[in-house]
Amino acid sequence: MVITNNTTLPEESELNVQELNLSSAALRAGAFHLGKQCEQANNEFMLCRQELDDPRACLAEGKAVTSCALDFFRKVKKTCHEEFTQYATCLDKSSGTMAFSHCRKTQGVFDKCIKDNFDWDRPSYGYFSRAKVIQSAREAPKKEEKVSYPDATPGLPEDYPKPPAKYGSRFHWLE
Amino acid sequence: MATAVPHCPPKQDLPPPGGYKKIPFARVPPKSYFTGFTTIGTYVVVTAVGLGIYYLTAKKVKRDEIEMRSAQNVIFPILVAERDREFLRQLRRNRDEEAELMKNVPGWEVGTWYGEPVFKTLPEDTLVTPIFKEFYAHSDWKSYAKRAHLKLWS
Repeated sequence: MVITNNTTLPEESELNVQELNLSSAALRAGAFHLGKQCEQANNEFMLCRQELDDPRACLAEGKAVTSCALDFFRKVKKTCHEEFTQYATCLDKSSGTMAFSHCRKTQGVFDKCIKDNFDWDRPSYGYFSRAKVIQSAREAPKKEEKVSYPDATPGLPEDYPKPPAKYGSRFHWLE
Repeated sequence: MATAVPHCPPKQDLPPPGGYKKIPFARVPPKSYFTGFTTIGTYVVVTAVGLGIYYLTAKKVKRDEIEMRSAQNVIFPILVAERDREFLRQLRRNRDEEAELMKNVPGWEVGTWYGEPVFKTLPEDTLVTPIFKEFYAHSDWKSYAKRAHLKLWS
């Protein structure tokens, strides 16, 4: 394997956190409100993951993402358990892709419950697909500097004579 | 002439009384239900209505796709975070397993070929993602096949 003894790997204790033990349907059902509530954590983690491209460097951010999601689902379970389960079941059973369009009624009931209890609005359908500029406290990694070679071939001087082509162009429209 | 020819009236192929029927040479066109303008008009109307319905449906499909993508974008970080932790755990397990497996080979260093590193130009402590078969090298065939053939089962 390519992992040597010199490669730093995190200890088991650093990786042990409570994981999200939920089905796809439940994740899908809670996705929009979850995304709105955990926007900061999610953005921070994805930015870190994209910029550093190293799973070891973003463990803390990843843990924040999981704990935020856990917290959200705990809150939902405490207040809107019935509505949430109904919505998730509808998504699960209505289509193979768990599409939202078949479950607007149960979605409305769930959204209303969330609105009544937490005063959270459902974000618009394209909210999480939009391009955003994220402000992060973490410093961006340095860009790779352009390499300059001392023995590179020198270009022609600016005032080098450039006479017109002797036999014209191959194409008449470039003449 | 020895025998007398009996008298019988001559039989001749003649037109029936009243003459032959007239030959119907005139063109008999099929019954036409619509005029040309009606046909073209119907075509234009049906096409226009169809395109209108198509436009509305396409709008809805596009909207649903965007909505689905949004939901997936939210779930993605959660899945990646969990995956990263399990991935790093498995890397440690693999490294320990390799050390255990090769402990009787003199000169063997884990992750290298007798001390010769696989990647020489990479900076120190770079995490290289192992190729799939390497990652599953110490697991049983069943877990390997489960992941490798995931696409065939889903």
